[in-house]
Amino acid sequence: MAEFDLTTRMGQYLDRHLVFPLLEFLSVKELYDEKEMLKGKLELLSNTNMVDFAMDVHKNLYPDQDVPNSLKEKRGHVVMELKQLQMETDLITKIFEDPEVIRQMQSSRDGRQLSDFLYKEHGFKAEMVETLYNYAKFQYECGNYSGAAEYLYFVRILLPPNDRSYLDTLWGKLASEILMQNWETALEDLNRLKEVIDANTFSSALLSLQQRTWLVHWSLFVFFNHPKGRDLIIDMFLYQQLYLNAIQTVCPHILRYLTTAVITNKARRRTVLKDLVKVIQQESYTYKDPITEFVECLYVHFDFDGAQQKLRECESVLINDFFLVACLEDFIENARLLIFETFCRIHECISINMLAQKLNMTPDDAERWIVNLIRNARLDAKIDSKLGHVVMGALAMSPYQQVIEKTKNLAFRSQVLAMTLEKKMNMKDKEAVGWGGHE
Amino acid sequence: MSRFFKGSDSESESSSTDEEINIPQKPAVTAKAFQFSDDEEETRRVVRSAKDKRFEELRTIIKQLRNKKNIKDMCAILSDFENLGKAFEKAKKVVDKEGVPRFYVKILVELDDFINECWEDRDGRKQMSKNNAKGLTTLRQKLKKYNRDFEQDIILYREDPDVGDEDEGDEDGEDEASEEEGEEEVSVPTFKKAEPKPQTLDDGEDSDEYWNMSSGEESSSSEEEGPAEFTAAYFLKKESDKKEVKKKPKKEKEKRSIKKDENEENDEGGEWEEVTKGMPAPIVEKPKMFAKDTEVNHEAVCKKLVEIVSARGKKATDRNEQIELLKELLTIAETNNLGAGIAIKVRFNIVAAIFDYNSNIATCMRPEMWEMCLSYVTALLDLLTSNPDIIASEHVHDESENLQTTPYRIRGCVLTVVERMDEEFIKMLQACDAHSTEYVERLKDEKTIYEIIKRLQEYLEDRATTEEICRIYLHRIEHTYYKCDFSLAKENVEEDSEKLMDRLCKYIYAKDVTDRLRTRAILCHIYHHALHDRWFQARDLMLMSHLQDTIHHSDVPTQLLYNRTMVQLGLCSFRCGFTKDAHNALVDIQSGGRAKELLAQGLLLQRQHERTPEQEKIEKRRLLPYHMHINLELLECVYLVSAMLMEIPYMAAHEMDARRRMISKNFHHVLRMAERQTLTGPPESMREHVVAASRAMKTGDWKACKNFVINEKMNTKVWNLFPHPDRVRDMITSKIQEESLRTYLFTYSSVYDSLSLHTLAEMFELEKQVVHSTISKMIINEELMASLDEPTQCVIMHRTEPTRLQSLALQLSEKVGNLVENNERITEIKQGNLFYQKGNRDRDQMYQQNQQNWNRRQNRQQQRAY
Repeated sequence: MAEFDLTTRMGQYLDRHLVFPLLEFLSVKELYDEKEMLKGKLELLSNTNMVDFAMDVHKNLYPDQDVPNSLKEKRGHVVMELKQLQMETDLITKIFEDPEVIRQMQSSRDGRQLSDFLYKEHGFKAEMVETLYNYAKFQYECGNYSGAAEYLYFVRILLPPNDRSYLDTLWGKLASEILMQNWETALEDLNRLKEVIDANTFSSALLSLQQRTWLVHWSLFVFFNHPKGRDLIIDMFLYQQLYLNAIQTVCPHILRYLTTAVITNKARRRTVLKDLVKVIQQESYTYKDPITEFVECLYVHFDFDGAQQKLRECESVLINDFFLVACLEDFIENARLLIFETFCRIHECISINMLAQKLNMTPDDAERWIVNLIRNARLDAKIDSKLGHVVMGALAMSPYQQVIEKTKNLAFRSQVLAMTLEKKMNMKDKEAVGWGGHE
Repeated sequence: MSRFFKGSDSESESSSTDEEINIPQKPAVTAKAFQFSDDEEETRRVVRSAKDKRFEELRTIIKQLRNKKNIKDMCAILSDFENLGKAFEKAKKVVDKEGVPRFYVKILVELDDFINECWEDRDGRKQMSKNNAKGLTTLRQKLKKYNRDFEQDIILYREDPDVGDEDEGDEDGEDEASEEEGEEEVSVPTFKKAEPKPQTLDDGEDSDEYWNMSSGEESSSSEEEGPAEFTAAYFLKKESDKKEVKKKPKKEKEKRSIKKDENEENDEGGEWEEVTKGMPAPIVEKPKMFAKDTEVNHEAVCKKLVEIVSARGKKATDRNEQIELLKELLTIAETNNLGAGIAIKVRFNIVAAIFDYNSNIATCMRPEMWEMCLSYVTALLDLLTSNPDIIASEHVHDESENLQTTPYRIRGCVLTVVERMDEEFIKMLQACDAHSTEYVERLKDEKTIYEIIKRLQEYLEDRATTEEICRIYLHRIEHTYYKCDFSLAKENVEEDSEKLMDRLCKYIYAKDVTDRLRTRAILCHIYHHALHDRWFQARDLMLMSHLQDTIHHSDVPTQLLYNRTMVQLGLCSFRCGFTKDAHNALVDIQSGGRAKELLAQGLLLQRQHERTPEQEKIEKRRLLPYHMHINLELLECVYLVSAMLMEIPYMAAHEMDARRRMISKNFHHVLRMAERQTLTGPPESMREHVVAASRAMKTGDWKACKNFVINEKMNTKVWNLFPHPDRVRDMITSKIQEESLRTYLFTYSSVYDSLSLHTLAEMFELEKQVVHSTISKMIINEELMASLDEPTQCVIMHRTEPTRLQSLALQLSEKVGNLVENNERITEIKQGNLFYQKGNRDRDQMYQQNQQNWNRRQNRQQQRAY
């Protein structure tokens, strides 16, 4: 199933630290060689300060070798640096521990106001923000995400939005929140970041495209874990032209996640699907995987056998995808429903056996499933058990009904019209009287 | 003194000194070299006689007249001419005695010629100011009248015009002989002004030398006769040449003085010796550049070069001669080993001179010229590439040029030269007939040009500014984009042109600042993609560039390129089976019936408004050379077929619809035209074929439809023009099958209660899968009121086709709905309070009027009722 694995494609748009969960997931699935995975991990760790983790990995990879000296040395450096930074920020952290400050921080919305306050009360200096920022970054590098998030929060409040490192702060905060799995705050940070990017303070279009691409990838973490994520992902990826363009030009593989989100989203599926199909068709030459092909089969070619085939493939793809594994059940159920719905719209009479085969179920299961659908009034159909058929209710509208439909509200509308006219006439009369008075 | 001069002297003495008498005696001896007709000199001889005085007067006027003639100031010429007449009257006495002086006849003849020439030149006449034109007419009439009195003389003169020249020359020579050396410098400029005879550059040089020689003669008086005779002979030989060449401009005189300075710099002795030595070999074909003994060094060559080049662009400069001179200079420079710097500099100038050869931008070069130009440009490039230490750029100033030592710095831009060459090439192709061998001959040079551009690109890549690199890249792109890369068809060869285009275009996208280059590069890139069936890339690039919105603001050639690109995009999408996109891409070009013009492949006759000649010229210049054309019949056929595939099922589906809109107006037009014909024979032209196919498709007869679209005739006419005709034909067949199925279902669904999928699949020779999906699509889109019966594999019609009454009822209900809607809209509009306050009074008046009308009508009705 490695051919549909997107980790390598996604990795280049993610932060080092964000790739770890993906790698962990992959090593559990055992898609790749364990050794290769560990090597990759070590490579990944080489540029971070998570030396202990790196040592562990190294031990795993080469059980018979000692930990290389370079790592040990690095550890020493990191610890030293940490201590120094700690010393530098000691003063600042003390300030922020003051309950008065915390209260002030929560009440004041403006960064300048707050820094004025801090300046007056605690001798806070502008350089301190930078120190704090560096410390947070170091914490993040070391894998202490909660600390990083906390400090970055302060930094973000204190920094003016036009500062050079303001954007970096936001990115750092988002990454920390994602890694701590605080989805609610992560979503908040995500929206904040999106606002800043959309305000377009970058010089070139290329840069903002890049930023958007990153945001699209990072947001996957949030969207597939936050309860409201499936709605939000559709809004952002499909209906915000800029993001859709970014996906189309740079990373069409995101379509997989978008498609999954659409299919599993019961409430909005119907209206959204048409737009999605258009996008999928447009990009079909650059990106294809079983999930998009499933949609294509179902809504472009009406090839139900093909759709069925693809659905089976989808299953294995979903299982091996870090983001989608959670919605596997949901997806299969909804996909089936989609097939069935489309099928019913086209057909008048379907044999249950065939349906069962199409839906990848046993005939009994299928019958039960259909019965449930009928009972929940989601389907206007009857089962002919002698022949083993499902017979759909009549769909067509007779001309009589059509005429009724068209003329039904005419009376009401005319009445409204008449009333408004009457009102106007009254007004006019009044005015006329007024005029008469003048004359 | 030379014997000749002595003779003339004696002659003049005996016959009271006049030139006319000289002429018959020694015509051949007179040297053109001495032909400085010099008025100033004459002023010094005032003392001579009354005759001289008069003649002198005449000469002064003539001189003025000639000056005016040079600047074509007709009014001034007219007044001068009148003065001349008066002066001649004054001199009547003398004339009666002596006969009409030759120079007088001469000026009359000249004037006559000049006037005729001006008169003939209609264009020039039109451009003249009103005053000038008037002057010209009056002058012409007066001159005609006046010349009648001198008819005899004029005829005589015309028979032997040169004599007159020599006469003058003779006279000058005489003057020369009698003058001091110091006067030479004065005489030189005046000579120019007065010189009426055509004189070439080299002529000037030579005469200069001879002139110097003659001055030398004064000091040594032993063997003078030799040189004098030689000069005469020499110049007589060249006589015919001289007539061809045009007059030298006044500016020449500056050059001459420069030349003279130069000569003076050189020692006199050498100068003098050179001439005498040259004597034994009288025929010198090539123009002489330097005195034999002069050391030919950089300085000298540069000077010479400046001298030659400064004549450039003057009206009277002989361009051919200039090229020859430059060539000669080049050989001299090369034989003297003056290094690459000089060689390049001179070559630059040669190429520039070649480009200058045609003053009219509309005409093209002669083939010989063109070949010469090519070879010089190639040589220039050779030199530049083999000498990497040369800096040749337009940013080098004249002062900072360095042509002597190795870090050469040369002013001159090879890129501009190549660009110009490219332009000329296109012009040449435009000028020849596209179906002649001449065209093919020229087209062979395209390869050379491409090579030159390629080499120049390599040369520039590591030394030029990004801007220049962008320019040369674009040139390469423009020579590549329209060529189909056949290595692609062989499949084993690495596709070069795609990568090349990719690399060049991306560079331009990134580095270009002018936007125009980028736009053109994008369009070429799209064109190239489309040409090679890379539909998605081409489409994405087109969409991403957003060119559709901005193309209307760009210049005409870019818009033409845009049109070409859109057409190519349409053809590409057709080949790839996206007929809808093909239709959309082509509709703009095809709808006006002006495809030929929009693609710059020819001019259309316009009935409504004539073009002005200038406009036509401009448009002609924009036309593309034939080898870049897109086949128009192919274009139309593709458009019509894709329109047919869309329009026929649509027409079948909306037959009952009251308000049907057309997808393709052009297609409908073609159909209508065909319907109007009283007799329809078997189809001949492409259009007739498509119309016949459409008719067949209307009845769902896909086989007939296919046979009309794809057959021998259509193959040779259209389909074989595609790189993979078989693929295209297969695509068309399957499309026809599908669309015929759809049409069939739309047309005949009301007749059937149910239809078997198997039968349908058999009928249209389609796979059951395809039939199923096609029908499913129609059901889902609610185009077909039916549903499938899975167990029996049937389509069951829902019989929703309304009866006549029902459909009328539906229409009525719809109309009632519309009525209510309209009422609502009207009240909405009139609801504004503003309206009430403003329009109230008016409306009241209107209301009253209406009431009156109403009453009247009522009265009438009542009357009628009675």
